[in-house]
Amino acid sequence: MDSALIPKGVKRCPTWQFALWIGAAGAVLLWGVFAMLLCWFKGLNQTNMNDSYGFALWIWADLAVIALGGGAFFTGFLRYIVGKDELKNIINYAVLIGFICYSSALLILAIDIGQPLRGWFIFWHANVHSMLTEVAFCLTCYFGVLTIEYVPLILENRQIDKVPFFHRISHNLHEIMAVFAATGAFLSFFHQGSLGGVPGVLFGRPFAYREGLFIWPWTFFLYTWSAAACGPCFTILVTWITEKITKKKLVKQNVIELLAKISGWMIGTYIIAKIIDTWYWAKVTAPASGFNLMDFYSNNPFYGIWILILEIVICGVVPALILITEKGRKNPVMLMTGIILAVLGACVNRWVMVLQVMAVPVLTFESWAMYYPSWQEVATTILPVAYGVILISLSYRYLPVFPQEQELNPEV
Amino acid sequence: MKEEQNHEKAKQFGMVIDLDKCTGCGACMVACMAENNVPFKEDESKKLDSITWLRVYKLTNGKPFPDTEICYLPRPCQHCGGKGNHGHSPCVSVCPATATDYSKETGIVSQIYTRCFGCRYCMAACPYHARYFNWWDPVWPDGMEKYLSPNVSVRMRGIVEKCSFCFHRYQIAMDKAYYEGRGELEENEYQTACTQACPANAITFGDLNNSGHAVHELKKDKNAFRLLERLQTNPKVYYISSREWVRRAGDNYLKTEKK
Amino acid sequence: MKIDRRCFLSLGIGGAAGIALSPLPWKLADDSAIWTQMWPWTPVPADGEVTYVKSACTLCPGGCGISVRKVGNRAVKIEGVEGHPVNDGGICPLGLSGLQLLYGPTRVKTPLKRAGERGEGKWIKISWEEAIAEVAKKLGDLREKGESNSVACISGSDKGTVPSLFKRFLSVYGSPNFMRMPSIQDSYEIANSISLGFIAQSGFDLEHADFILSFGSGLIEGWGSPVRMIRANSSWRKAGIKVVQVESRLSNSAAKSDKWIPINPGTEYALALGLAHVIIRESLYRNDFVHAGALGFIRFRDLVLSNYSPDSVEKITGIKKETIEALAVDFARSGRPVAICGRGHGKAQSSLGELLAVQALNALAGNIGKEGGVFAVNDPAYIAWPAYQVDEAGAAGIKKERIDGAGNGKYGLAKSLTNRFAGAVNSGLPVSLLFVLESNPVYSLPDTKAVKDAFKKIPFIVSFSSFMDDTALNSDLILPNHVYLERYEDVPATAGLSKPVVSLARPVVSPQFNTKHAGDVIILIAKEVGSPVSDAFPWDDYQACLEGTAGDKWKMLNEEGFSSDPAFTAQAVNTSPGKFDLSGGVADLSILFTPVNLEGDPKAYPLLLLPYDSFRIANGYIGDPPFVIKTVEDTVLKGKDILVEINPATASANGLSAGSYAILKTPKGSARVKINLFDGIMPGLVAMPRGLGHTAYDNYLAGKGINVNELIGTLEDPASGLDAAWGIRANLIKA
Repeated sequence: MDSALIPKGVKRCPTWQFALWIGAAGAVLLWGVFAMLLCWFKGLNQTNMNDSYGFALWIWADLAVIALGGGAFFTGFLRYIVGKDELKNIINYAVLIGFICYSSALLILAIDIGQPLRGWFIFWHANVHSMLTEVAFCLTCYFGVLTIEYVPLILENRQIDKVPFFHRISHNLHEIMAVFAATGAFLSFFHQGSLGGVPGVLFGRPFAYREGLFIWPWTFFLYTWSAAACGPCFTILVTWITEKITKKKLVKQNVIELLAKISGWMIGTYIIAKIIDTWYWAKVTAPASGFNLMDFYSNNPFYGIWILILEIVICGVVPALILITEKGRKNPVMLMTGIILAVLGACVNRWVMVLQVMAVPVLTFESWAMYYPSWQEVATTILPVAYGVILISLSYRYLPVFPQEQELNPEV
Repeated sequence: MKEEQNHEKAKQFGMVIDLDKCTGCGACMVACMAENNVPFKEDESKKLDSITWLRVYKLTNGKPFPDTEICYLPRPCQHCGGKGNHGHSPCVSVCPATATDYSKETGIVSQIYTRCFGCRYCMAACPYHARYFNWWDPVWPDGMEKYLSPNVSVRMRGIVEKCSFCFHRYQIAMDKAYYEGRGELEENEYQTACTQACPANAITFGDLNNSGHAVHELKKDKNAFRLLERLQTNPKVYYISSREWVRRAGDNYLKTEKK
Repeated sequence: MKIDRRCFLSLGIGGAAGIALSPLPWKLADDSAIWTQMWPWTPVPADGEVTYVKSACTLCPGGCGISVRKVGNRAVKIEGVEGHPVNDGGICPLGLSGLQLLYGPTRVKTPLKRAGERGEGKWIKISWEEAIAEVAKKLGDLREKGESNSVACISGSDKGTVPSLFKRFLSVYGSPNFMRMPSIQDSYEIANSISLGFIAQSGFDLEHADFILSFGSGLIEGWGSPVRMIRANSSWRKAGIKVVQVESRLSNSAAKSDKWIPINPGTEYALALGLAHVIIRESLYRNDFVHAGALGFIRFRDLVLSNYSPDSVEKITGIKKETIEALAVDFARSGRPVAICGRGHGKAQSSLGELLAVQALNALAGNIGKEGGVFAVNDPAYIAWPAYQVDEAGAAGIKKERIDGAGNGKYGLAKSLTNRFAGAVNSGLPVSLLFVLESNPVYSLPDTKAVKDAFKKIPFIVSFSSFMDDTALNSDLILPNHVYLERYEDVPATAGLSKPVVSLARPVVSPQFNTKHAGDVIILIAKEVGSPVSDAFPWDDYQACLEGTAGDKWKMLNEEGFSSDPAFTAQAVNTSPGKFDLSGGVADLSILFTPVNLEGDPKAYPLLLLPYDSFRIANGYIGDPPFVIKTVEDTVLKGKDILVEINPATASANGLSAGSYAILKTPKGSARVKINLFDGIMPGLVAMPRGLGHTAYDNYLAGKGINVNELIGTLEDPASGLDAAWGIRANLIKA
C-alpha cells in the first residue's frame, strides 16, 4: 500500500503489521498524552513530587535523554571534524536518536515547569548568571541544529526527493553539514556542560557543589565528557535493538566496534576524572562544609552507598575495561554488556546529581524523604519513549537511515 | 567617600531569634500565614507539600530518657547575602528568569510570583528548605476569601513562594515616611508579622547595619549563630541559644571536629 | 487554478513562515502568559481604606486584647494590642486565626431546628421568633409541671455578663443547674475554701516570682492566660529565674525549664508532701504564715514528717531523695517561690489532695497574698444587678439539689462539678432541657460514650453555638450566637491572673449571617416566658444591660478596650498571716493523700495512657482552625491518623516501631493509632494529644485523629467530688 514511499532495494514488513506496531506504540503515546494533559490542566499536584523532590523522575529523564542524545553530537564531531569516515554509516541514526532525545527533553521540560505558558520567560527575562539559562539557550539552538541535520534525511524519501526543489535543498544541506556538525558539537559541549553546572554551582548543597575552573564547576566538564562517552553507547544500543526487532543487520560490526572503542576510551578517561573528582570532593570540598562522604549515603532510606559503587565501579570502570579491550568488543555478549552498563552509568549519574541533590538533608535536623513517582509521572516519562519508537519506525520504514542496509541484506 | 556614604545608607534587614525564649507555640507561623495570604489545604500533614514560609522545627539532642532535650527553631527565609555579602544568594544566582532578586538597598531576597515559571531550581539551591512550591491551586472555602489582604498578592499554582520579611510592610512604612517628608524609618515602623505576634518576644527584627537597632548588638551575643554558616551563604537570620547542642545543630561538623 | 501538491506545499510552508513572522504567535504567547498571572479562579483581594478596631479575644479564657485590621468592611488580620495588661502585643496561633472562624464554613448561619435523627446533620431553617417561642413554650410547660429544676445550662465560663444572664435566668426560673465546664480552677476553689475559709480562684503574680515549681502545668503551652504565661517565661529567662518542671513527659514546658524532674505520673502530691517534709524538718518555713501553733498545721506536720520522708517519697515518685532534698531547700530559700499545679492547659481538674499539697508549699514559703506569690481572687465585682423577685415555683426549684451535686453534702465546697454531670444523668437524675453556651461538652468532657448516653436521655437540647461543633450537631435547636468579632461583650480574664482584667469585645464587622447575640436571646426568652422571669430582665436588650453593668467604666472600656481597676474587675482577697490552714476542716487527711487508682486491670492494661495538651491543638470550645491545624507536626497527626508518643523502650517491649499502627485499648474504648517514638517520655506511658478527633466542624478538622476523651473516663476524688483521673490504664497491640 505504502510501497511507493519505501526506499528502493530494501524490504519492509507488510503494512498491516506496521500499522499494528504503530498502533501499539500510539496507545502508549496516548496514555502519556492523557497524563500530560492532566498535569497541564490540574497542575503538578498530579505528581508525587514535593519540596524535597522538586527535581524528580522527569528532570532525571530529561538529563538522561540529553546525555544519551549526546551520541548525535559526538558521532557528528568524530565524523565531520575528526574525520572518522566509517561513522557515516551510523551518523544518520545517531542524528535521529539525538533528535528524538532532544525533542523529548523539551517536551518533558514543558510538562515539568509549573507554568508552561510562561516557559518562554527563560529567554525573555533571562538571567545570565543562571546555568539553566545557558542550558535553555544552547538546548534550543542545538535542537534547531539537530532539526537541520535531520531534515536532509527526510528529504531523501523516495517521493520527496523526486521534487527538484527538495532534492536541491537536500544536496546543498549535505554539502554544508560539516558546518552544522561543528556548530552542534560546540553547542553541545556547552549545554551538556551547563547541565553539569546546574548541580555543580549549588554552593548551598554540599552534595552537589564542586569547585572548578573559572565559573565552571568540575561537573560542567564531567557532564560533557560523560555525554560524549555514553551517548554513542546509546546509539549503539538502539541500533542493536533495531536490528533485533527488524531481524536484520543494519550497520557493519566494524563501525559499531570503532564507535565502541572510542566510547571505551572516553568512558575510561571520564571515570578516572570522575574518581578524582569524587575523591577530591569527599576529602576536601565536602569536609569544608562539615560533611563526611558517608554522611551523604547513610540514613538513606533506600540505596545508601551502593548507588555510588553502582555508578562508578559497575557502570563506569567495568564498561570502560570491556570496551577498551579488543577481546571485550569482539565478544557480542561482552560488548552489549559494556554498552548497556555505560548507558546505565550515565543514567545513574544523572539520577544522583538530580534527585539526591535535593533530597540529601543539609540542615542537621532534617531527614531524608522517600519518593516514588505517580503514574502520571511514569506515563509522561514513557510518552517520549513511545514517541521515539514511532518516529524511529516511520523513519526506518520510509527513509534511507542505514546506508549499509542494502549491502548487508541483499534481496534473495 | 561617596561609596562609604552609600554603604552607610544600605540597609541589611535581619532577625535575631532567641531560642531560649522561643516556646514553639507556632504563633509566628500563623501570623505569617495570616499576613501573607498563605493558602491551606484539607490535609497539611504532608510537610513536604505544605507551604509554611516560616516553619518551626523541633530539634532534639538525641539522648535517651531522661536526658532528652528539645528545642524549637523558627526558620524564615534566611535572606542570604552570599559570599562576601555581594548579594549572590544561593537562589538568586540560579533563577533563570530573574524572578527572585537580592535588593542591595534592603538586603531582602524578593520573589516575583508573576514571573516565576516554576522550574524549582531555586528550591534545589536553597539548603534551608525556605522555598515552597505551589503544587496546588489555592482554594479558600466559600466566604473565607474575605479575610485576604490586598497587600500581598495571592499566588497561583505552579510557582515558588517564600518569606519576604513582610516586604509590603516596608513599602507601606516607606510610603508613609515619604509622605511625611522623612527618608528614614524608625525601628518600630517596619516589623515583620512574626516579630509582632511572637508572644515570647523571641524575635527581634531590624537593620543589622544600624547601630541604633536592637539586632545590631544582639547578633554579637556570644551565643549567637547562624544556620549552615560554613556554606558561606551568609544568612541574615541569627539565632541565640545558651545550649551548646543547639548551637552545634545549626551546622554540620565532622565527627573528628572538636566541640 | 489547479492546486497540485507542489503548490499546496509551498502555500503551506509559506503560510507557516508568514504566520511565524507576523505578530500573532508572539501576541498569543504574551496573552497566555498574562492570563496565567491572573487566573479567574485565583482571588484578587479588594483594596480599601485600612482601619483598626480594638477588641478582645474570647477563644479561650485568656482574655487577650486584639486589634483587628480592616480593609474596607472586611476584617483581614488580627493582631495583639500593645500595652494591653494581659498580652501586651503578643498573640497566640488560635487568636491569630479568628478570621477563619468568622468567615469559615463551620458557621451556623441561621436558627436551625433538627429534622432528622440527632447527630445526623439534617436541619430546617426557622425564624428567630419561632425558635424563641418554641424554647419559651417548653420552659413554660416544664415550670407549670413543677419541673423547673430539670432545666440545666452548661456554659464555658461563669464569668461575665452573658453567663451571668443565663445563671440569673435559671435562678429566677427555678433551677440551680447552672454549670461551667470543668477546669483546674474548680480544684483551686475548693482548696481555697478549705485553707482560707472562702471560695475564691487562685491568681499568680508570676512576673515577680523568683522560683517557679510547676507540677505538670503547661506553663508555656496554654496554662492560664497563654500569652501572658509565655511573656512571663521570657521575663524569667531574661532575669535568670529558675523554673523547675515536674512531669513524666518532656513537654515543651519541661524542655524550656531549667530543670526537668521526671516523676511517676499521678504522684505529684507525694513529691509536694516530701518537699514539705524537708522544709518543715529543716525549719525552712515561714512560721508566722502557717501559724505553727494551729491545729491544722500540727496535723499536717505530723503526717508529712511521719509518712513522707524523702526515702519513702522516692519510692512513690521515682525521684531520687537527693533531688528532693535539694529541690526543697532551693524552693524554700528563694525569696518569692511559687508552686503551681493543674496539668497541661489546666482544663482538667486535679484531686483535692494534690491541690492542698501544692498550696501547702506556697503557704510554707509564706508567699500567699504577697508580691510574686499566690493570691485568692474573687469573682469579678462589676456585675451587680438589682435583686429580683422569685415566685413560689421558682423558689421551690432553686432549692432542689443540683444535678452535679455541687454545694450539697460531701460536695458542699464545690461550686460546679460538671465532671459528674454525665454520670448523674445516666443514673437517672432528670434533665428535660439543656442550654449549651460557648462550650462543647459532647466533645470536651471525658468518657465520650457516657456523655453521649447522657445527652440521649435529655429530650431537648438548645445550643447557642456560632459553629456547627460536636455538641451543636447533637442538639435539637441551634440559636447561633454572633461570633466574638461581631458582638459587644465583656471579657473578664481571670485565668491565673493575680490582677484580673476586664476587656471589651467589640463588633469588628457587622454580623455576617442571621445570628443573634446570646445575651439578647436569653433576654427575649425571659420576656417570652413572662413574669416573674421577665421582671428580672428589665433591660431592653443586651446592649443596654452591658452598658448599664459597666456604668461609668463604659466610656473607658470603649476607649482603652480594657479596665484593670481592681474595684471594677475583682478584688484580690487579703490573706493575713496565720489565717492559712493547712488541713482545714478535713477530718481525715489520709483520705486526701492517697494515690489515684486508675481504672483498669494492670495485667490486661500494662501501660498508662496520658492525655497531653499542646499549644497547637485547641481543645476547648473552639477546635483548631485551618491555620492552626497546619502547624501541627507530622509526628502528631499524619493524614487522618493520630500518633501517640511512646518511649523506644516501650515500643520494643511491645513489638512496635516508629510509624507502625497499633490498637490502643483502654477500659473505655479502643482506637487505631500510629506510633511516634519519643525519647522524652517515661517508659510505660502512652501520650495522646487532646483536641483531635472532632466529629463536627469542617473538613479541615473533622475526622482527623482520635478524641482522647473517648478513651478516658472520670474518677471521683472521694474527698471532693473532683475528677482525679489524670489518665487511664491502657494497652498497645500491634495492628
